[in-house]
Amino acid sequence: MDISASYQQATQTGSSAWHARRALLRATVFETGDREFRSHRPAVARSVATGVIAEVREDAIVLDGPGGTELFSVSPGTVTWMGALTMPSALRSGDQVIIRHRPLDAAVPVRRLAERIWARIGRVAGTIVAAKGREFLIDTGRADDAPQQVVVAAASARQVQVRFPRLAPGYLLDVIGTRHGGQLLAVVPATAQPPYRAGHAPPPPMVNGPLPASISGTAVWHEPEDEPPGLLGLGYPALDPEDGAQPADGGTGCVRLPYLSLGSTVRLRNECAGRSAVLPVTSDGALARQFCDRCVECGTSPKGRLADLTMTAFVELGGNLEDGCFNATMTLAG
Amino acid sequence: MLNLVREVQVGLLAVLLLSGSAAKLWSASGAGSPGHGTGPTAMFPVRLRRPAATALCAAEFALGTGLLLTAGSAGAGGPAVIVRAATFVLFCTAVGALHELRGHRPDAGCGCFGELSRTPVSWRAITRAALLCVAALAAIGAPPVSMPRSTGQAWLTLAVAGAELALLAVLSPEVGQLMIRLSHAEPCELREVPVDRTLSALRSSASWRRYREFLATDPADVWREGCWRFVVFPGVLASRQVEVVFAVYLAGRHGPVHVGVLDTGADLDGPWSVSSQDPLQLSTRV
Repeated sequence: MDISASYQQATQTGSSAWHARRALLRATVFETGDREFRSHRPAVARSVATGVIAEVREDAIVLDGPGGTELFSVSPGTVTWMGALTMPSALRSGDQVIIRHRPLDAAVPVRRLAERIWARIGRVAGTIVAAKGREFLIDTGRADDAPQQVVVAAASARQVQVRFPRLAPGYLLDVIGTRHGGQLLAVVPATAQPPYRAGHAPPPPMVNGPLPASISGTAVWHEPEDEPPGLLGLGYPALDPEDGAQPADGGTGCVRLPYLSLGSTVRLRNECAGRSAVLPVTSDGALARQFCDRCVECGTSPKGRLADLTMTAFVELGGNLEDGCFNATMTLAG
Repeated sequence: MLNLVREVQVGLLAVLLLSGSAAKLWSASGAGSPGHGTGPTAMFPVRLRRPAATALCAAEFALGTGLLLTAGSAGAGGPAVIVRAATFVLFCTAVGALHELRGHRPDAGCGCFGELSRTPVSWRAITRAALLCVAALAAIGAPPVSMPRSTGQAWLTLAVAGAELALLAVLSPEVGQLMIRLSHAEPCELREVPVDRTLSALRSSASWRRYREFLATDPADVWREGCWRFVVFPGVLASRQVEVVFAVYLAGRHGPVHVGVLDTGADLDGPWSVSSQDPLQLSTRV
């Protein structure tokens, strides 16, 4: 019975499609009645576009994105961020942007108004491996082990120093800024520095009885590394160790999360914006385990990062990238 | 009576020191780092925490063993006095260190019994250390421990030891932590379960026996969602190419195993590519 050979040609083990198919396979066993958790099709962002600016007009910008050229109207109410709040006219051709938009007219969904534009925004979170003045090399746990270069803007140095008092090798850094080639010019701290060194996060509290169906904490975002632009998904901090996830460097994180695998789906709710979506686990959120922090965007969240979202997913859920996080509640597929 | 109380201290101190040492060692093996940031070692520079924690653990073990070895008439005299005096110094140092820790790191636990001692240091922990300090002082010069000469004396010894243990339990936040740990098992969603164990459970199930002759030897995919691990085998059923999905419950030795069959059809592009049909229609629950 030679069924393996032809079977293996049909699917590529380990690909994102392979992982996405798991929702469908799961549905053959469990009829949960909740179809959204078992869709095998990739989730599509309805209100977010990413790409490179092709042209800036007085009343619109033209975007070169993965889906081709798109046009977005801008208005005086359009909020533009490029290291600080600015005007859409400050954007230039070639700038990498991410746009949250809405239809200008419900009857004509093709005409879209840019509500918020983030230009050249980037984020670096990880362990400081070298520090010299305002320049840092950060180990972000990338697959190629290449450290990221961060320069803290002179005007932001004091603000960053207040939130990150230990800017020394071995301690954690998480900053947001603008991308200039391979370097990040950091302008805002994304969180407050944990008091412990990298790899020494406190162990999570014990769970008394069964895990609750919904778990609250903070959701953050990360820049795409090898992920396709526009991907809707999240890095999950508690991937099954048997999945070949990275060793639990720094423990299991300070929130107790059930073990999941790539392709599992969770419902994530932005408590600040009141928006929620079912998202697939698309990467290992190993770095999220290192940060035992809270989000204070709307009240104070419980400690611990639940999800490290792709930029598109973060914006789709109503998060503002320059804030770094939102208070989140995660519900697992039942 | 006074000598009996002093004799009891030797055994109690030895048991507490050896328990503390073992708990620290156990926690260190789990955390992968002996200086895990709890206890007075949290006040040390990071590079010194590990050696300090190791030294403390070793000192407790040495003193606990020393107390036991010198408790009887064999170690009476100089050796017993030295070990008990060293124990007294250790607990006096602990009182000062815990007081300092409470001031400088109010979030840190005393670390006295490893992971069980993560509750922030309170006056209870400091009082307990002070009580043990007094106990060690009382033990210095106590006569060698001997068997009770009468039943009455045996009961009295047990009563003194019991009363002191009860007092120590009241002063120990670790007792509450221990009770919580013993009262429940970790939820299955949080338990690490090797894939091999899942496959063994699957292969001993009735669902597996029903399908095994139609399936390939090795699974095509294995993944986990909380308490369930999913194992997929390609196979042929009724001349149709299928994928058989087993869901194995990870709690207990003989947890339930559910199975589903996905008809992948003749077209090997499969239903996961863009299709005019709803692919869920192709799934068949068994």
